[in-house]
Amino acid sequence: MKLYIQATGNISPQNTLGQPTLPANLSEYNTNRLYSIEPDYSKLIDVKLIRRMSRIIKMGVAAALQCLQEAGVENPDAIITGTAYGCLEDTGVFLQKMVQNKEEMLTPTAFIQSTHNTIGAQIALLLKCHGYNNTFVHRGFSFESALLDAIMLLEEKTVSNVLIGGVDEITDFSFGITSRFGLFKKNINSNLNLFDTPSKGTIAGEGAAFFLLNNHPSQKDYALLDGVSTFYKPIDLEETEHHIQSFLSEQSISMNDIDLVLCGRNGDSIGDKVYDDLNERLFEQSLITNYKHLCGDYPTSTAFALWLAAGIIKSGSVPEALMKAPKNDIKRILIYNHYQKIHHSLMLVSTC
Amino acid sequence: MDKLMADLKKQIISQLNLQHITPEQIGNDQPLFVEGLGLDSIDALELIVLLQQQYNIKINNAEEGPKVFSSVRSMAEYITANQPA
Repeated sequence: MKLYIQATGNISPQNTLGQPTLPANLSEYNTNRLYSIEPDYSKLIDVKLIRRMSRIIKMGVAAALQCLQEAGVENPDAIITGTAYGCLEDTGVFLQKMVQNKEEMLTPTAFIQSTHNTIGAQIALLLKCHGYNNTFVHRGFSFESALLDAIMLLEEKTVSNVLIGGVDEITDFSFGITSRFGLFKKNINSNLNLFDTPSKGTIAGEGAAFFLLNNHPSQKDYALLDGVSTFYKPIDLEETEHHIQSFLSEQSISMNDIDLVLCGRNGDSIGDKVYDDLNERLFEQSLITNYKHLCGDYPTSTAFALWLAAGIIKSGSVPEALMKAPKNDIKRILIYNHYQKIHHSLMLVSTC
Repeated sequence: MDKLMADLKKQIISQLNLQHITPEQIGNDQPLFVEGLGLDSIDALELIVLLQQQYNIKINNAEEGPKVFSSVRSMAEYITANQPA
């Protein structure tokens, strides 16, 4: 069965909301935290509802609404979200109040909004959507798990369209804690030069990317989603190569049929060795580019990658901002990402 | 009473994050729930906590709630009548 990416909505550290593809002028940061460029939410969401929404909820809801608006769909058949950390800001507020108030006089809002499925729930409440609603929380596989669920629903034909998104946020709490593990670089001149001088650590990112998947064509589709696959902690490069080749074989194609490989390289010399090794072997003859210098690294960054790939397929060319020598006639893209060398995922998109 | 009502309006806006209105836009006798400010049951819980935190007043009888929180004036009257010595 063919699965069509009918519409997208993406809030990210780049100016992507309402854009079908990467804008020509990239946003440059000289910090190790890439925060999303947020729109005036009052233009997208009822102000009475905004007051209870934390940043991640506003990002998710606005990206979802933008996606539906572009599709011309008022109410999707199902809503599926993927998030690794969920509504961290409200979780932090709630836990802090528990400590400060000695577990008394706790206000309900932060607690209610702190659960991982709040974004999906808020979208459904806003749309009065009583259809299937699920949230997947599987660290670096969160968005991919949501995608797999959407694919199964569409293939079972229990629904004809699914609103699906990947959302995660940076908070001071989370950044402080993850920094202790040495995950992030100390000095950043520019996110756009992330890959120029390999060193330990990466840059933190965040974002909300939503898609309307449909099992029927709509004449304005971005791309086909041909497949999604995940694999956990491969022992060595051979196992990684084997997974990639098996994934392509399942689609009855080989690396020769891939016009572009979109990699999750993040500037960390240890993690990027996986991509370096693949570039010398399996991807040797392929056109390769990266995306995490644009959005930073976070567990659901592959939602940003899918948005980028869908836009490239729709336009048929790699944006100049991404690749100095523009390449046209891009018909099939392989997205390969690993999150901290633990969660590896593959996505294949192609022209309709 | 006027000072208390003015304080309450600011505290309600802050506690409920009512970014789209100012204290001047809340009438002393304007209903807080449904047709007035449009508050709901979650807000009611926030207001109960507000009374506890700011005025050290607990509403022990749940049936009193609708009357106490019907307007800013009714809240101020309840606080004045039940302020701990």
